[in-house]
Amino acid sequence: MKPPKPDTNRRDFLQKSVFGTAAAGLTIASTSHASAQAPAEALEPEVTNDVDVLVVGGGTAGHVAAIQAARAGAKTLLVERGAQLGGTTTTGGVAFPGLFDAWGKQVIAGIGWEIVKESVEMDGGTIPDFSKVPQRHWHNQVFTNQFLYALLAEEKCTEAGVEIAYYEFPEKVTESDTGWTVDCIGFGTRRRVTCKQIIDCTGGAEVVGMLGFPRLREEERQPGSYLFMMGEEHEPGRNQIHRLYVHGADSTNSRTVTVANMTGRKSILEKVRKEGKRLMHLQPETGFRESYRIEGETMVTVNDYRTGRVFDDAISYAFYPVDLHTKTGVKPKPLDPGTVPTIPLSALIPKGSKNIIVAGRCISSDRLANSGLRVQAPCMGMGQAAGVAATLAAKAGTTPLDVSLKEIHALLKEHGQIVPDIATA
Amino acid sequence: MSRKRSLVSLLTAFSFLVLSVTGVLAFVRPFSIQIVGLHALIGFVFIGLIVLHVVNNNGHLGRYLKRGPVRMSLGAVVVLAGLFFWQPSPIKSVLGLSKNIGPSLDAYEIDELGMSYRYAPDPGYQMALTVRSGSGFDTEAPPHFAIWLENASHYHIKTLHTPPGEEGRTALPYWDFKLRGWEKAKREAEKSGTALADEAGIDAISGPTQNSSFDPGDYILPGNAEESLPYRLLLEINQPGDEQASLVYAVEIDNIDPRTFQLLDLVGYPKREEDDDDGKEVWSLYYIDESFGSALDLIDSALLTIERGE
Repeated sequence: MKPPKPDTNRRDFLQKSVFGTAAAGLTIASTSHASAQAPAEALEPEVTNDVDVLVVGGGTAGHVAAIQAARAGAKTLLVERGAQLGGTTTTGGVAFPGLFDAWGKQVIAGIGWEIVKESVEMDGGTIPDFSKVPQRHWHNQVFTNQFLYALLAEEKCTEAGVEIAYYEFPEKVTESDTGWTVDCIGFGTRRRVTCKQIIDCTGGAEVVGMLGFPRLREEERQPGSYLFMMGEEHEPGRNQIHRLYVHGADSTNSRTVTVANMTGRKSILEKVRKEGKRLMHLQPETGFRESYRIEGETMVTVNDYRTGRVFDDAISYAFYPVDLHTKTGVKPKPLDPGTVPTIPLSALIPKGSKNIIVAGRCISSDRLANSGLRVQAPCMGMGQAAGVAATLAAKAGTTPLDVSLKEIHALLKEHGQIVPDIATA
Repeated sequence: MSRKRSLVSLLTAFSFLVLSVTGVLAFVRPFSIQIVGLHALIGFVFIGLIVLHVVNNNGHLGRYLKRGPVRMSLGAVVVLAGLFFWQPSPIKSVLGLSKNIGPSLDAYEIDELGMSYRYAPDPGYQMALTVRSGSGFDTEAPPHFAIWLENASHYHIKTLHTPPGEEGRTALPYWDFKLRGWEKAKREAEKSGTALADEAGIDAISGPTQNSSFDPGDYILPGNAEESLPYRLLLEINQPGDEQASLVYAVEIDNIDPRTFQLLDLVGYPKREEDDDDGKEVWSLYYIDESFGSALDLIDSALLTIERGE
């Protein structure tokens, strides 16, 4: 698919890009021109929403973005293809999010931390002592009860006024005078959403892909992990859980996700038969590490990441080793002492776009930088920043990249997030 | 005949004198091809002269072998040869004094400039740790130092420098804790015949990461550099009487990405935790807080240099 030319008329571009995407095999509808011949398109939506901010994907970044947008006063709708919020933390079962701290200090807080902390406290668990030097990087990941986390995330969305639409996914996105018109589909549900801003938290930047903005993807993705517990009791929020690599796991579309899940489950079943132990717990989905990343206004390189570059438009911190998983395993490369990478707002904005922002592992970054940025705490931080930027943009009638950074920082701080001190950088 | 015997004896005596002087010089001075070459070549001449000397005096030698204290002499030589070959700590200490032989073992020196430590287990691997003293370094009562290696799982694999006496162990509790853990695991492994990695309870959480070897050779001189494992060199330092905890510095060494020069970073300070469920003493490192003052000025810099052969 060719990337849109900057001077291309938006409607023309959308038409072309939608055809292109369909040709690539993604599950989207045709254009308005083609819709006259497509019976499904002729049907009127059963539900309509007019909101300020539409968040697509309720995973690690998405639910945080939605809560933040709603708490900041935006009318917010959250569309999630699955049955619960939390994504990798809950559905993927990687219920030990990290890392919120670096070199003895907390560097990521805000809404993600609020839910993690509350779920741990409610569960009688333990928060790591961040003043202690971890022997291994994952020692300060926070053991969280995945079930409680999902419940609390949902409760906080509801309390903030976020409308949640489970089992739905956008099938068509069209630019409008005031923002976007997004047609979503679920079983037995057709929903039309008009919104000023979209936050794409789908992991693989699916909405960005539908719009035809360029995305990056490696020939070979990092393996996913399928989590389970065999032969011993699973104590949520207390221990690590068994896992196996699903090589070739690809979250590009429903078909590739199906293949990854079936491959993982087949391997687990073989293991159960071979070892003759009881299967005590099984996650419903593979945890994916990598699929598409956007090509943003800025790209975070591994050099930026490893040197802890403080971007001029930094909106949050990240912290994790460079952690590229391969067929033979992983050899994390820790950051040098004192280094804390930052995340620039412009790396969340698809190049040449308006009124759309991403958050999560699809951040514009090279592969090695992404291997550290993709983990949960930085994704939560990105989600909150995207929620703030989209809300301020919706209120001001502008696009997230044009919102004053000072305002973004102020609102993030007001909502408990730690932001990089650009003035002193 | 008598003139020939005298000539051999005098030649033997003079060449022995050259051999002795060059031997001492080779020990106390840095390596010199002139000195060592002279010592070696005159040694060959000396061997020839000794053969002639034995031929000239075979009658006497025969009587010594029949009536002299043969067993005692032979025993003494065997004991000395054994000691010098196996080189227990006292012998190593003596060899360490040599400017020539010392660098091939390990050498520790402390002066007003700071501390230097050399370790060269192989011509292809020569490590030097140079600690430049900071303003808090008291040369009259220098700080205690411990230097050791850990594997990627932070398990002790080799102590390079041990502080002297019980006072040193007490002053450097983190190294002491690590060393005791390793010694205990080693004892238990020897008793049960299991691998040390199993005994030490290596966690499998990070399964794909290689972390189980306890053989220093696997890290320092791996058979295949491409498959070598990263390891860490740690330094614990404590200035007696400053009423501050010891400090731990560390650096990661990766033979896949070899660096000749690396600076050690300050990691933290040790603090005793609550004993674990088995009643085992546990020490952890904590990030430096505002309670530290002069201790942070003990070291200006700590530079690790590793010269690797081809």
